[in-house]
Amino acid sequence: MSKPANPGPADPAVAVRLDGITKRFGEVVALHDVSLDVRRGELMTLLGPSGCGKTTLLNLVAGFLAPDAGEIAIAGAHVTDLPTYRREIGMTFQNYALFPHMSVASNVGYGLRARRLDKTKIAKRVAAALDLVKLTGLEDRRPRQLSGGQQQRVALARALVVRPQVLLLDEPFSALDRNLRGAMQVELREIQRKLDVTTIFVTHDQSEALSLSDRIAVMADGRIRQLGRPDDVYRRPADRFVASFVGDVNVLRARLERRDGTTAIVALGNARVKVPGGPLDGAAAGASVDLFVRPEDLRIANNNGVTVAHGIVAAQVYQSGHVDLHVESSEFASTRILLRIPGQAAMTRWPIGTRVGLALATEEAVAFIP
Amino acid sequence: MSRLSSNRWLRLLGALAVAAILGFLLLPAIVAALAAFNGRAILSFPPETWSLRWFAKALAYEDFRAGFRNGLIVTAWASVLALVVGAAFAFVLDRYDFRFKRTLETVLLSPLVIAHFTVGLGFLILAAQLGVARGFAVVIACHVVLVLPFVVRSVYVSLRNLDRRFELAAASLGAPPARVLATITLPLLLPGLVSGWLFAAILSFNEFTASLFVTVQRTQTLPVAMYNYVREYADPSMAAISVIYIVATAALLTFATLFLGLGKVLDVEQAR
Amino acid sequence: MNRPFLRVFVSPAILCAAALLAALAAVLQYSLRAYVPGALEPGGFTLANFAALAKPLYARVFLDTVWICFITALVSLIIGYPLAYALVRTRNAALKAVILVIAVTPLFLGEVVRTYSWIVVLGNNGFVNAMLLKLGLIAQPLQLMFTHFGVVTALVHVTLPVMVIMLAAALAHVDRDCERAAASLGAGPIRTFLTVTLPLSMPGIVAGVTTAFAWTFSAFATPQLIGGGQVNMVSNLVYQLGFASFNFPFAASLSVAGLALTFAVLALLRAVARPLERIGPH
Repeated sequence: MSKPANPGPADPAVAVRLDGITKRFGEVVALHDVSLDVRRGELMTLLGPSGCGKTTLLNLVAGFLAPDAGEIAIAGAHVTDLPTYRREIGMTFQNYALFPHMSVASNVGYGLRARRLDKTKIAKRVAAALDLVKLTGLEDRRPRQLSGGQQQRVALARALVVRPQVLLLDEPFSALDRNLRGAMQVELREIQRKLDVTTIFVTHDQSEALSLSDRIAVMADGRIRQLGRPDDVYRRPADRFVASFVGDVNVLRARLERRDGTTAIVALGNARVKVPGGPLDGAAAGASVDLFVRPEDLRIANNNGVTVAHGIVAAQVYQSGHVDLHVESSEFASTRILLRIPGQAAMTRWPIGTRVGLALATEEAVAFIP
Repeated sequence: MSRLSSNRWLRLLGALAVAAILGFLLLPAIVAALAAFNGRAILSFPPETWSLRWFAKALAYEDFRAGFRNGLIVTAWASVLALVVGAAFAFVLDRYDFRFKRTLETVLLSPLVIAHFTVGLGFLILAAQLGVARGFAVVIACHVVLVLPFVVRSVYVSLRNLDRRFELAAASLGAPPARVLATITLPLLLPGLVSGWLFAAILSFNEFTASLFVTVQRTQTLPVAMYNYVREYADPSMAAISVIYIVATAALLTFATLFLGLGKVLDVEQAR
Repeated sequence: MNRPFLRVFVSPAILCAAALLAALAAVLQYSLRAYVPGALEPGGFTLANFAALAKPLYARVFLDTVWICFITALVSLIIGYPLAYALVRTRNAALKAVILVIAVTPLFLGEVVRTYSWIVVLGNNGFVNAMLLKLGLIAQPLQLMFTHFGVVTALVHVTLPVMVIMLAAALAHVDRDCERAAASLGAGPIRTFLTVTLPLSMPGIVAGVTTAFAWTFSAFATPQLIGGGQVNMVSNLVYQLGFASFNFPFAASLSVAGLALTFAVLALLRAVARPLERIGPH
């Protein structure tokens, strides 16, 4: 295999480099020319709806699939033509894929045996890995004798014990129930930080992505739509898709008032909102724009504030910690407007049928050309 | 890269092995076909002259004709009875627990491991002891027992793959059990039922060892007639009839594969 | 519990089971009766038939039969596995259908047609000898008929389809993610196969070997026509005794002994396989 002519991914801060990856399945293009650098030690999430290409991307890094075009490098070495078993990765699967015919200890030691380490060394590292995931004492159990959470830990220990260059997690929490999921997420994050292991994490759950990641790559239709820190993605979505996929959002009809370089001022009723100017390139002052406002950035207007719209409370949803109010208002939106009010007082204060005024609780938002 | 090419060698080696095994499976059929179209009475490879005379002779041979007729009678009865009995049993096997369920299952599936000559001898002696003449009834009863396991298995697999929620939905809409069975379960089971019946029919039509014991000249089925022919004559008529057999069976199974999802019925489709 | 149709659906099955049990009981009963030469009705109860089984002549046939069954099951496992693997794993639907039809068709052809075809292949002026002579590889036809080799070859052809079906069913249920997991942990294809795929398909191997063994034991036309008296199996003895000497009691006792032997071997195989099967999933 002759090495490609372009300079190698020598940057020591980059653990995984994807360069111009294209992957087709028959007629369907699953990935269009995707490039992505995963930094050493970071937890990078690939987030997107099903069919966006995130799992394909993970499978390409793992070597289960080969790209039609582009190069993949792990820890500075080109691996595009390397089979999975020579890539020095660790991976956990949606249903864990624990070997049902092996004990917990054999499962965890599998990768070390494949690397032909000597027995005492294997035993030591297996014990340490099981200690790390708090499963000491369960060495001789079979996977089917474990709970879902325990199986998840075995899968994690098995992937980590080989000290992989990169840890690949395919929807690791999707098979767990809600309570356990939260605890496992915290634990995974702690272990990941402690070992400083580069991690690529695939999920379709945006709240999971926001809470766990160092950076998120939001994907749709085989492309990365935005790459950034969780608050970037949430607060400054790059396009309409990202804005509506990550978190709940209200789309309100507003008017572009003026642009000052990189920012713009948008008018919603008699309120003024500062938005990034980039997405509004080409729109003239006075043009109609779509203002994306998060539900927690709206509040019920009191008498001395600026009311941007009026409406009638159509539904209340108690959400332990906050209340979601669905307000029927035809002034700026074609659908109901969602408000997120902290605490639970909203349940009694604005019962269904109440006429309310809506105000903006922020001066920053994003807007896109319709 | 070197590892990748060693994978390629492994793959090539595997493909060659599979091709060789398929060749082994096909070899007798191909050779029989060569022999069947051979013009002379003595085998020679490759044949020196070609002819259809052995087909004409085989089709005109009275024992074969009678055997074919008898075989159809036995197969028609045995396959339908086995289908009804087997499908009903597969249903209770899948749905219910009852006393002696395991015992009954073991007994009914035991012809898979009991030698056919033992079953044949058993029905022969039983008929003699009961004073029943060795007519079609004995042959049919013997065949039903022998092919039953195959029907049970294919219907049972289909039942396992059936989503019970369709039935629950029908019941929730007010359909009584008989209606659920007739309008939901049976239609969804159709491929399994047809394959089960097809298995039973082909196996019954071709059953030999037990038939050798329980048939008499009057009820002799085609395989028994062919066996007697091979023992007495060496001309390629037998090759001709074998070719007809092989072609007909392969055609039926191709049909089953393409239209009934034979792979699913045999449970050999990759789960994920 | 509400169990619609239970009684109606289970009765015909019970009837069939009763018929089978009655037939087997008839064999058992005859095996304990005395043979009266010249008479079709057997005599009084005796154990003489079973005592006669111990004669070296019959004991040899039993041993030979077990040996043939064992070799046949083993060979069909070895060549059935790659075929089952290809059948399950090929992504080409047409190829899959071709393999399935070719692999399964012999199962439905019946013993006579298959045995006859093998006679044409293996005979002195059969296909193999004709080809070898033509190529100048041999000067005299090889003796393939009337040998263990010939009988086992034809018997493997008989058992291969059922072996492939059982192996394929087991392989189809092996979780592909387990193999991917092994690869991600650094195991090459051979290691992955030996440590993951093979153990996980163990239930199919056990089922396939057991069934192949039992089916070979049941074969009659193949050893009769290809063995030609030189290779005898229990089935051939039973037929000879029944229809040539009309000694049905002794034929019955041979059958009973054969049945007992089959069950003993199957139980043994299961016992050996249990630890193996524990390797596999459940």
